Formats: sequence, C-alpha cells, structure tokens
Amino acid sequence: MGLFINIIIIAAIIGLAGYQIYRAVKRSKQGECAACDYDCEAKKLLNKSKKRAL
Amino acid sequence: MTTVALLGNPNTGKTTLFNELTDKYAYVGNWTGVTVEKKVGQIRHSNTEVIDLPGVYSLSPITKDESVVTNYLLRDSPDLILNVTNASQLKRNLLLSIEVLELGVPVIITLNMIDDLKRSGHYYDLKTLSTELGCPVRTSNARNKEGLPQLKADLVQNQADIKPNSPLQLNYPIMVSQAIRQATKALTTDYQVDAKFARWLAIQYINDNKVVRKYAVAHHLKPLLSQQAYYDAQKFSDQIFETRLSFIEATLATATEQLHSTKHVAITSKIDKVVTNPILGLPIFAGIFFLMFKLSFDWVGTPLSHQLDKLLSGPISTWANQFLTQVGALPMLRSLIVNGLIAGVGGVLTFIPQIFTLFACISILEDSGYMARAALVTDRIMEMIGLNGKAFIPLIIGFGCNVTGIMAARTIEQPKERLITTLISPFMSCSARLPIYSLFVAALFPRNQAVIVLSLYFLGIVVALLMAKFYHVIFRAKEHSVFIVELPQYHIPKLSIVWHGTWDKGKGFIKKAGTIIFAGTVLIWLLSNFNAHGYVTQIDHSFAASLGQILLPIFKPIGITTWQPISALLTGVLAKEVISSSMMVLFHTANQGALIGMIGGSFTALSAYALLVFVLLYIPCFATIGTIKSETGSAKWAAYSVVSSLFISYGLAFLIFQIGSLLT
Repeated sequence: MGLFINIIIIAAIIGLAGYQIYRAVKRSKQGECAACDYDCEAKKLLNKSKKRAL
Repeated sequence: MTTVALLGNPNTGKTTLFNELTDKYAYVGNWTGVTVEKKVGQIRHSNTEVIDLPGVYSLSPITKDESVVTNYLLRDSPDLILNVTNASQLKRNLLLSIEVLELGVPVIITLNMIDDLKRSGHYYDLKTLSTELGCPVRTSNARNKEGLPQLKADLVQNQADIKPNSPLQLNYPIMVSQAIRQATKALTTDYQVDAKFARWLAIQYINDNKVVRKYAVAHHLKPLLSQQAYYDAQKFSDQIFETRLSFIEATLATATEQLHSTKHVAITSKIDKVVTNPILGLPIFAGIFFLMFKLSFDWVGTPLSHQLDKLLSGPISTWANQFLTQVGALPMLRSLIVNGLIAGVGGVLTFIPQIFTLFACISILEDSGYMARAALVTDRIMEMIGLNGKAFIPLIIGFGCNVTGIMAARTIEQPKERLITTLISPFMSCSARLPIYSLFVAALFPRNQAVIVLSLYFLGIVVALLMAKFYHVIFRAKEHSVFIVELPQYHIPKLSIVWHGTWDKGKGFIKKAGTIIFAGTVLIWLLSNFNAHGYVTQIDHSFAASLGQILLPIFKPIGITTWQPISALLTGVLAKEVISSSMMVLFHTANQGALIGMIGGSFTALSAYALLVFVLLYIPCFATIGTIKSETGSAKWAAYSVVSSLFISYGLAFLIFQIGSLLT
C-alpha cells in the first residue's frame, strides 16, 4: 500500500469522524440524540405530542 | 340540524366512534384559543351533526386545552350529548357523566369497549344503570362496530323528537344543598338564568371549577361571587366529590353482574395487594431492580461480554494487525485501526450483552403490567416532593435515554412541574453510562457488581428527588398535575413483544457505535497521538496528556491521580459511551481484561466509586443539553443544567472521597 493510499484512508476516517461530530452537534441543537435516525415506539408517541413552551 | 356532542374521558375510543358514526369529516379546525383539533362530522343521510370534544376526566379543567369542553357547555347548547365511557373503567368515567347529567341536557351514555368488560367476568344491568342515572344507557365496541346501528338510530333524531332529560339530582350534604338552592334561586330571579343551567352553574362554581368561576366574574354573577370564600372555607368541593363517588359506588354495586369465573382478575388483585402495598411496594421495586442488575452484570451479561471481548481482542485484532502489516499500512494507520477503532469502538460493543439483558428485563416488566404499578408506588414519594407519579414515567424512560425521558415530560400539564422534571431527568442513569460502570465494577467490585450499579441508579434517583424538592420550593410551584394511571391486568410477557422492545431500545446503542462512539474514538486517538509538533510515539507527550495533567489538581480531591480518566471524561460530553472507548485508547490496552487490570491498579475502591458518582451526575451529553434547550425554549436552562450538574457531581464525589478517606 503506497503512502498516498495510507494518507487517503487516514484522512477518510478522520473526515468521517469529524462529519459525525458535526452531525451530532447539529442534531443536538434540535433535541435529538445520535441514535435518532429511526423512530422507536416511545419516540413515535412523543413526537405526536406537542411541545409546550414554559 | 340536530347537534350531538361526543364527550368522554381520554382513551375511551371516542374518536374511533366518531369516525365510525360520521362517514367523513365535514370540518377539521382548531378550538378557539388553543391548538386542540376541532372535528365536526355529519351522520350520512341525516340532519345530525356530530362534534368530537377533546377527552377530559372532569369539567374542572387543569389545562387550557381541557377548558375547551367546559367552555363549549357554557356557550353552546348541543341538542344531545353522547357520553362515551370505557366500560372497564366505569367508576372513574361516571365522575364526568354525573357532571354532564347535572346539566339537564339530553344525554345518552354508551359503555364502549364492552368486550374488555366481559373478558374481566363482569357486566352491568343496563336497566338499573339507566334508572339510577336517569338517561338511556347503551353498549358498544367501536373497533368491531358492535352496537353502532343502535347508537346511530338514537342519534338520528329530529330536534323536536329528542326527549328532554331532567337534571340528575344527587343527595349532597345539607349545607351544600342549601348553598346550591340559594344560589340557583338568586340566579333565576335576579339574572333570569334558566333554572336547570343556574343549578349546574352553582354546583360547578361551588366545586371550584376555574372556567365557571371566570364565567361568573365576566357576567358579574354576584350571588356566586359573594359566597366564594364561604364555599372554599367549608371545603364544599371535597363534599361534592365524596357524594358523587358514593353514588357511583352504590349504583355500580347494584348494577354489577358476574358473568363467569374471575380467577384472572382475582390473581391480579392478589398480586396488587402486595406489589402496591404502601410499605412493601418500594422494597419490592428495589428488589426487582436488584434482580435486573444481577442478571445483567453477574449472571448473564458479564459472562457473555467476556466471551465477546476474547473474540474481539484475540482473533479479530490479531488478524486485522497482520492484514494491515501485509498490505503495507503505515504504523499510524495500523494504530488508528487496531488501537483506536477496534479497541475503542469494539471495546464498547463488548458491553452489548449487559445492555441488552437490562433492556430485556425492562421490556418484561413493561409487558407484564408491572411498570404502571411502579409509577403508582413511586407516586407517594413524588407527592412528598411536590411532583406526582406522572413525573415518574419520564424519569423511568430516562433510564434508557435522557433525551426521550426529557421529551416524555411533555405529558405533564403544569409548566413548573414540567420544568422541574426536565431539569432532574439528566440525573437518571441512562444506558450509555453502563459500559463505564461495567468496567469499574469488574475491576474493583467483582463480587458486588449488581449492588454497586444498583446503588448508583438509586443515588441518581435520590439526587433527582432532592433537586426536585429544591426547585419546587424555589419556583413556588402550587398547582399540581393530576396523576391517573390505569392498571392493566398482569399477564405472562410475550416473547415477540419482549424481543421487539429489547431490540427497539438496544439498536440505538449499536447505531451509536457506528456514529458518535466511532467519532469520539477517532478524536481521542488524535488527541493521544499528536501534540503541537506533530505525531508522537509517547502518549505522555500528547494533547490528551497535557489537557489531563492541567486538570489533574482539580480532580485529585475526588481521588483521581492519573490524567487518563480526566481526558476520557471530557469526551463523555459527545456521548457517555465514549468515556469507555476513550479509556481503552488512552490506557493503550488491546482488550477489556487488560483495561480492567490497569483500572484496578490506578484506583482504590473508594476513588473508583467517587469517579462513578461523578460520571453519573456530571455534564449531560450534547443531545441532552440540546433537548433541554429545545423543550424549555431557552438556552438559559440548558446552560444552567450544565453548570449545576457539574457542581453537584463534583461536590458529591468530593464528599464521598474525603469522608470515605477519613473513615478508612
């Protein structure tokens, strides 16, 4: 494996990790956790209920 | 056009009945001033319009949404009210029915979900019910359309053909009856209010109905306003409630018929006598949790986890290392993949057996019908701190994930109670903290793993309750939400449901391994392999080490003497699972066993417990902070949560370590 491929793979892994952190922080602002791509039963029910400002 | 109002408690199948009676919605809008959906439909080939009112437990509203029904009865006059009740919960449902029957508008009561009642071995004599309540009583099952033709026939009447109902007259205590009579007389003579409506208005006013009290102020109804202090001082509302309840109990006792053996109901009742007992209830609750942790950590989870770890740190790591060497990967790439990703992400994945066992136990408890009882048992403690069992539901959901727990607080009506529940939710020990608990209990408390984890869970609950009491005093919360829980019958959990529940809760953990745990592991690998001058071979010269060493003096008073756990704690803000994967990377270990050995050498039992308490209570993860901001609509509360949890966690860990050091 050449140096270039090594660098590409390292960069890809770090880039993907950076993207995941960016995505997690962005989603956090909307009040969602990192595992929130799918809707579990509890969340389906919760999402139906309205948000009420305090 | 004849107007029929559909009125009843929530979850009585009212909307299903509405959809069955009306073939399609004629109009869907909002009730004025609130976001509650207003549905009006028409029964096909008729002149009957049906209005679906929001589900309420009483005409005395707690929330603005619930006030829709009382306002409707005050301002509009339906020709007929169809009171939909849950046949299995008639005792509770009739409390609302009585309030409606006292109005004197023609009412038909339908005992919906009648099949559920029959299954419990009971039935009601409809004639007796009808005579006692003074209105026609029908049965229905909206889901399989049973009894609907009869109901439709009852509703499709011309206005002129509808038989008037006389208002239901209960024998209230003499003083209450006198107050009602005097107020009614004054309202009819001085204000020309219709006699039936005046009597209803008087009862509702005396019963502290806030919407009716506002109505009286708006219409300057002096006979009521002048007596308010007297009504309240005499606690007439309590007497009204007692009279209604006694009437319902007597009516149902006369009307109840036994259908067949009620063995199942009897068993449920026998179990409930023990499980919801005021003295035994809490120890049983604690015992069940202890058993859950025993299964997760001692009996099933940990042995399976060790097998998984052997596989990952043995054949998989060795094969990956050999493969990467063969294909010519640089040492840096090999280190990133083997010491970073496989050790970190894989290391966290080895905790899957503990987490899935715990989730399976929770799913079994949910499906067996125990969870509703747990809420009931905790209601007494919650009452002492100014909350109620309703707040227990978000807290117990918080054991899975604090984010969904906080979102579940939406079900609490009172804003101050909701805010308190939101602020204390992060103290609930979510499943993301389990991997770090597992590591430390395996290293320092191998014989008491379940007891230590149980103590952490209960410490989280105790801190949450103490903080709730503190907030309750500070916020001066006076109004309370009403907690009503339906207790389902116990049954043996179904394997398919338990599996579905377990997978549903657990798949989030697996998904996180591929996203945020992966990202956190790469981040900590970078921090532990680089410094300002570039790639380092000695981890003690890395960014992670520098950062940890700067903060070390702050953490020494809580028993942390090495920099690695401090740097790992910083990554926990991304997600709490990342703390474990960071420890794997920072201690530079290839497997869980080696890390457990390193932890055993770096901590004493006391300092390890102090650290676990700190992990339990310190800064919530990003997602939780974001959710607090989103649910409270304020960044201020999110920032407050971060700062307060940091102070509380440090303070408690400090006390535990310092007092513990003095004692040992």
